Amino acid sequence: MAERVLITGIGMISAIGNNVEENFRSLRAQRSGIGYSQYVDTIHRNVLPVGEVKCSTAELAEMAGITDATGFTRTTLLGLIAMQEALLSAGIRDAAETPTAFINASTVGGMCDTEKIYFDILDPEKEGTFLQLIDALDCADCTQRIADHTGLTAYVTTISTACSSSANALMYGARLIRAGLVQRAVCGGTEALTRFTINGFNSLKNIDKRHCMPFDNDRNGLNLGEGAAYLVLESESFAQRRKARPMAELSGWCNTNEAFHPTSPSPEGDGAFEAMRKAIAMSGRTLEDVQYINVHGTATLNNDVSEGRALERLFGDNVPSFSSTKPFTGHTLAAAGAIEAIYSVLSINRQMIWPNLNFNARMEELRISPETRLLEESPVQNVVSNSFGFGGNNASLVISKYGY
Amino acid sequence: MDIKCYIQASAAISPQQSFTGDYTPQLLPLTERNLLRAQEPGYAGFIPPNSLRRMSRLLKMGLTSALQCLRNGNASVPGAIITGTGRGSLQDTEKFLHDIRTYEETALNPTPFIQSTYNSVNGLVALQQQCTDYNNTFVHRGFSFEHALLDSILQIQEGAAQSVLTGGFDEMTVEHHYIKSRIGYWKTALTQPADMLESGTQGTVAGEGSVFFLIGTAPSAVELKGMQMLYKPTPEQLSASLTQFLAQQGVAPEEIDLLVSGRNGDTRFDHFYDVAEKVLPSSVEKIHFKQYCGEYDTAGAFGMWTVTQELLSGRHKTALLYNHFYGEQHTFVLLQA
Repeated sequence: MAERVLITGIGMISAIGNNVEENFRSLRAQRSGIGYSQYVDTIHRNVLPVGEVKCSTAELAEMAGITDATGFTRTTLLGLIAMQEALLSAGIRDAAETPTAFINASTVGGMCDTEKIYFDILDPEKEGTFLQLIDALDCADCTQRIADHTGLTAYVTTISTACSSSANALMYGARLIRAGLVQRAVCGGTEALTRFTINGFNSLKNIDKRHCMPFDNDRNGLNLGEGAAYLVLESESFAQRRKARPMAELSGWCNTNEAFHPTSPSPEGDGAFEAMRKAIAMSGRTLEDVQYINVHGTATLNNDVSEGRALERLFGDNVPSFSSTKPFTGHTLAAAGAIEAIYSVLSINRQMIWPNLNFNARMEELRISPETRLLEESPVQNVVSNSFGFGGNNASLVISKYGY
Repeated sequence: MDIKCYIQASAAISPQQSFTGDYTPQLLPLTERNLLRAQEPGYAGFIPPNSLRRMSRLLKMGLTSALQCLRNGNASVPGAIITGTGRGSLQDTEKFLHDIRTYEETALNPTPFIQSTYNSVNGLVALQQQCTDYNNTFVHRGFSFEHALLDSILQIQEGAAQSVLTGGFDEMTVEHHYIKSRIGYWKTALTQPADMLESGTQGTVAGEGSVFFLIGTAPSAVELKGMQMLYKPTPEQLSASLTQFLAQQGVAPEEIDLLVSGRNGDTRFDHFYDVAEKVLPSSVEKIHFKQYCGEYDTAGAFGMWTVTQELLSGRHKTALLYNHFYGEQHTFVLLQA
């Protein structure tokens, strides 16, 4: 019997708060972080709303305690801030003391900063400190800077499976623990808004000019967002030995591929169905044990049909409360899986279910509609968190109340 | 490992004539820049013409080598598809960056954006083979292919998959070659692969390629015994870890009869290879594979392919692959015939 994997620390930064507590307060106050960008240089700035972290990059460097921020991209700084909180909340003073894996996730690495100087790099006449950002053109740069800063060096890597990246990072870290390769892994993702990504999704006609409306009949696309989130995972025996405080258990997971289309899910949600079904089976829980589903719910035309059909097929007439928290944060791509995993932990610890904002009318393709109210004192023992992405990459996590 | 893992098939697109026929490594001549370009095979027979037209170079190389690997293994649907790539489709990333500037963020073609996502090759392979199981992509320099390999081993040990399609691929564009030249990745003077190891200069020769393996539980000629990764070790840590790794594998250093090494002639980092060689007997035969494929994030996959070819030839019994990427990500892989 493989060991249980516990969540013993959480840290995050998003459009609705610079730490977990601020995120919780915004969720409870039903306060969205979506608005027009202050920091991204794009012609879409006052047209396409985004979920931007409310700090300049210089302010982020100060928050992260970095005095010389040369070479530190916004992606790295967001990640560092979330990482520092995660370690602190797990009661880890010196992360280097215990061999710890760091499994990060990113979709475009340091693009937020490198895109500003890319054509200077190509110009042989131009010299300067901007050349120090060349290594930030990949996804490994942010991971290694965070690893080096915190001493997480046992296994260091980065996963990129589009919008399911950090859900896969959590799975991989949990599997390294179960295989006995490490006793602790810090997993999650970091993502900064970029002109590159905004134009990418805009060229796909996937962005709504309004605040996104997941699972609404009138939805017309997503809002992009940025942020970072990390969860400290530990084997149960190790957590018990060091008397760590378990916040929840990562009890089940599954990764499937749609094998349907490069950027669209199948209309019946075959991949989503399998990912949820197998993750719940792995957790040892039944369908009836699930009280809340934090859905992927991007508010694109395709995702919500596909994911909604998968929910109806899996749960039949007893679909649990479900909501998308993307109207709060925007779609934070590689960070989304970890941000929403933390919202799932909070749901269990605070016994609350988060509302799906901006919902008016049920989709004509579905019989179900999301939870639009904030539910307090709601018994939540098991949450399913979904992340689905380009390339058909689907991931579902089951997060459970520990000891339950 | 509780469950033994074997290399059941492989396929490599590289600067060498590695994709078809008998493989004899050549020290290829360079004329323009320190870059070994991959020799692309004919794609007809792998990719339908209407898809071929839209696909960029790395996607074609990645998909084709993946499909050839499955054919070589008489397999169709693997139990998982796990890959590594340091840069993904650079050509597409560059095109989208240039398009944003040229067209001032209006009326952009989304294709380069879609293809620039790092998991696009994985998605294509899954789509073409209708493989709906586990699918993952690692994007971390010299720990891209290597973590794909570890993930594959874990999938098999967990009993989740009987066979895994595991690959590593990267391309080098002229534009990116120039970018990396600005921070000392390559030798400044044109250096021939035949001379790169003895050049006594900093930097190395760039390369590219796409290599896939079918790794599974059904016994075949080459066994994947184990692997270990080290992040930014000191020379002392490297030496101690290699000794410990071999001991854990139950292999005496004298049993290693082939060292496939990532030595690339970069005077800043080659000393790590000296350290590893000192752990092994001086008589061990050595192949420095980057003379044949050049340096790139996932060159380790070509290194493992070289090991596999050597073991299949019957000339060697126990081989160690040791590679690092610019002194930061170090990996040992032990394979046995």
